[in-house]
Amino acid sequence: MGPPKRFKKDNDRGKWKKRKEDPEEYNDDDTLDDNETEGIPDAAKNDVEKQDDTALEDEFGAKDYRTQMVLKPDCSLRPLWVAPNGHIFLESFSPVYKHAHDFLIAISEPVCRPEHIHEYKLTAYSLYAAVSVGLQTHDIIEYLKRLSKTTVPDGIIEFIKLCTLSYGKVKLVLKHNKYFVESPYPEVLQKLLKDPVIQECRLKNTVEDEIITNIQNKTKAPQFGAKAVTNVPTGVTKVTETNDQVPAEAAAVPEDITTFYDKMDKEDEDEEEEHELKTVSFEVNQEKIEIIQKRCIELEYPLLAEYDFRNDTVNPDINIDLKPSAVLRPYQEKSLRKMFGNGRARSGVIVLPCGAGKSLVGVTACCTVRKRALVLCNSGVSVEQWKQQFKMWSTADDSMICRFTSEAKDKPMGCGILITTYSMITHTQKRSWEAEQTMRWLQEQEWGIMVLDGNILFQFFFHNLTCIMCLEVHTIPAKMFRRVLTIVQSHCKLGLTATLLREDDKIADLNFLIGPKLYEANWLELQKRGFIARVQCAEVWCPMTPEFYREYLGCKMSKKLLLYVMNPNKFRCCQYLIRYHERRGDKTIVFSDNVFALKHYAIKMNKPYIYGPTSQSERIQILQNFKFNTKVNTIFVSKVADTSFDLPEANVLIQISSHGGSRRQEAQRLGRILRAKKGAIAEEYNAFFYTLVSQDTMEMNYSRKRQRFLVNQGYAYKVITKLAGMEEEPDLMYTSREEQGHLLQQVLSASDMDADEERIPGEGLRPIVRKAGNMTSMSGADDAVYYEYKKAPSSSTANKHPLFKKFRA
Amino acid sequence: MKQFLLHLDETFALGRKFIIQDLDERHLFISADILDILQSKVDDLMDQISFPLAEKGI
Repeated sequence: MGPPKRFKKDNDRGKWKKRKEDPEEYNDDDTLDDNETEGIPDAAKNDVEKQDDTALEDEFGAKDYRTQMVLKPDCSLRPLWVAPNGHIFLESFSPVYKHAHDFLIAISEPVCRPEHIHEYKLTAYSLYAAVSVGLQTHDIIEYLKRLSKTTVPDGIIEFIKLCTLSYGKVKLVLKHNKYFVESPYPEVLQKLLKDPVIQECRLKNTVEDEIITNIQNKTKAPQFGAKAVTNVPTGVTKVTETNDQVPAEAAAVPEDITTFYDKMDKEDEDEEEEHELKTVSFEVNQEKIEIIQKRCIELEYPLLAEYDFRNDTVNPDINIDLKPSAVLRPYQEKSLRKMFGNGRARSGVIVLPCGAGKSLVGVTACCTVRKRALVLCNSGVSVEQWKQQFKMWSTADDSMICRFTSEAKDKPMGCGILITTYSMITHTQKRSWEAEQTMRWLQEQEWGIMVLDGNILFQFFFHNLTCIMCLEVHTIPAKMFRRVLTIVQSHCKLGLTATLLREDDKIADLNFLIGPKLYEANWLELQKRGFIARVQCAEVWCPMTPEFYREYLGCKMSKKLLLYVMNPNKFRCCQYLIRYHERRGDKTIVFSDNVFALKHYAIKMNKPYIYGPTSQSERIQILQNFKFNTKVNTIFVSKVADTSFDLPEANVLIQISSHGGSRRQEAQRLGRILRAKKGAIAEEYNAFFYTLVSQDTMEMNYSRKRQRFLVNQGYAYKVITKLAGMEEEPDLMYTSREEQGHLLQQVLSASDMDADEERIPGEGLRPIVRKAGNMTSMSGADDAVYYEYKKAPSSSTANKHPLFKKFRA
Repeated sequence: MKQFLLHLDETFALGRKFIIQDLDERHLFISADILDILQSKVDDLMDQISFPLAEKGI
């Protein structure tokens, strides 16, 4: 057994990112003999990267790690390859997969997770996250050693030590409404106290130079799961369950793996439960929290924020509980266990795919903390949805939930849960008196938990991705985000998002603003178990008609876009697919970013359409009809529907035009149809995701780009070059030359304005817009396409793989 | 694809005309000596519109 060959070609030294890939080799899934060529893209932090400079390279840039990694005799029983550059490959068919998987999720970032081999990457931040959920340095190294087929390279061990030793040693704890810096290691605390900046921040009214030492007996702190939800297996029983299964299913597994896993799992849970813990702490000035946090990061002792909500007597409890009918799915429970692992609430981010029940996780977290909760989401629509979710899953009623949006302003006084949008909070212009009052109230409160919903996180990451292209626009969300955190004082922050696009190490900010990633679900696994829909992704290639392609070649960029979207063959494919799925009784959404195309398609086919200027009442009417009227099975929508509309009925999605190579959009759109469908197991696939692509145009490039994220989540795209049965289909439009010519004329006479993607009014500098989908444009998504396009060629030629430079020159 | 070649021919992208005869919907009659350059041009086009999936960065 060896690593699959397909990893081989994408490895090279230094900048691995811009490499082109040999397409022929890509599908070659054969495995090589023993680790002859260990090919791994090199992306870990610099210090790891340097480790493999010594390794020999073959002509493709594949590296020979044989000298650094010695194969163990029982390698076939162990599931991991750990490469000297921080990449880890996991065999998902291994009997110990489950253990290894849980472990790797905790310590590393998933890079690519197709069916058989998963790739993970160790980064400083992932290790930081691991420490914050309670793993210890020597445990990580020890377990990695046991799981690995080979010896773990020394460099990696060094790296892990470097990253983890100083992390997690000090905690910022909010107890009795005072901030304490707490640490079980007196020497670390002493060191911190010697720092002048930290001395400043220290609250002096305590006896000079005396560190509070307290011995805590943690045994009484109940675990999450043991207390909060009665009808869910508790944390502890869960562990024993896995214990029982393991020996039976994997007798061949080396003993040390299983036993150690149990030990570690237990440790994570009970860490502080079993022994008396001696901690030392000093109190800090609340106003200087930010300074001290920053300083501690500089000193390499980042503060972990924890909230001891059970001992918080100052903030009143709010009276909510989960309803007995609310049953957490295993992954939801697991993610929450990470959050409440030691009886306190940790801040962090939980990543679950769209439609996998993020809101239930949020609601449960609020019910566990039982302090005043603040929920922040993107739009007015999601505010309503969150309110519904709270009413559905918990015992909260109208009097406890307060909405604070431009349309609905409930009385905030005395409520327990406030749901609002980011833009409401960060609004800088004049507000109505009512809103002013609410804001004041909001700032005065101390919040137990703050739930940050969805895309803002995503955009925050997206900001990092695109900031090189267009600086000004993209700094806005980040700033805005910071603003939210400065305005609102919350003890604990929970970020819920569908996708964390890992753009290298730039997630640093977020890591320290909210907290580390606590949990990330595997999309394919959820799909297999029927928690989300099984989606067939397809890319339909529509040949350009000769006339259109001719024009395409000879015109400028913005027109090109219009030309490939309006390609008559694409129109026909779209029409055919709509009819096909209407006959099956499916509900179809057609997405188009281009308004000109959207209108044209919809009017020609006589279907309702929604885009920016569509009024609220009309939108609701169309959506209602789509939901309940069996005659309305297809709607056309522009990108306003990317995120905010909840359309659980839809199971077919056709994309006719999209926003450049945006992975975020692709993932979000897929999310529209991801909600688990009824009869989920019956058919092989129960949802369909088509992207129509005009052949031989830039669209192919974009489409490939967009798919990266989902491919990394393990989705496979089927390429359809010809739709069977389309020829027989009667009266499709634009069959004749004249009709096509007529269309071409229309397209050519369309103004540049039409060619542009939809612009939603109010985008840009003004931070408040009360429209669905506005967040997307605020992050500058609208403009990114052009920048990205211009940027790509120059930078990609700069660091091209030598193998491909040859062809390019 | 034929349109692409016609476009190259018309714009003198390769320095000269190379199409001898436009035969029908799908066929062109071209001069033999240009074939190599033409193939590389087509490769270029394909490279432009394809995007390597393994690339994980920006």
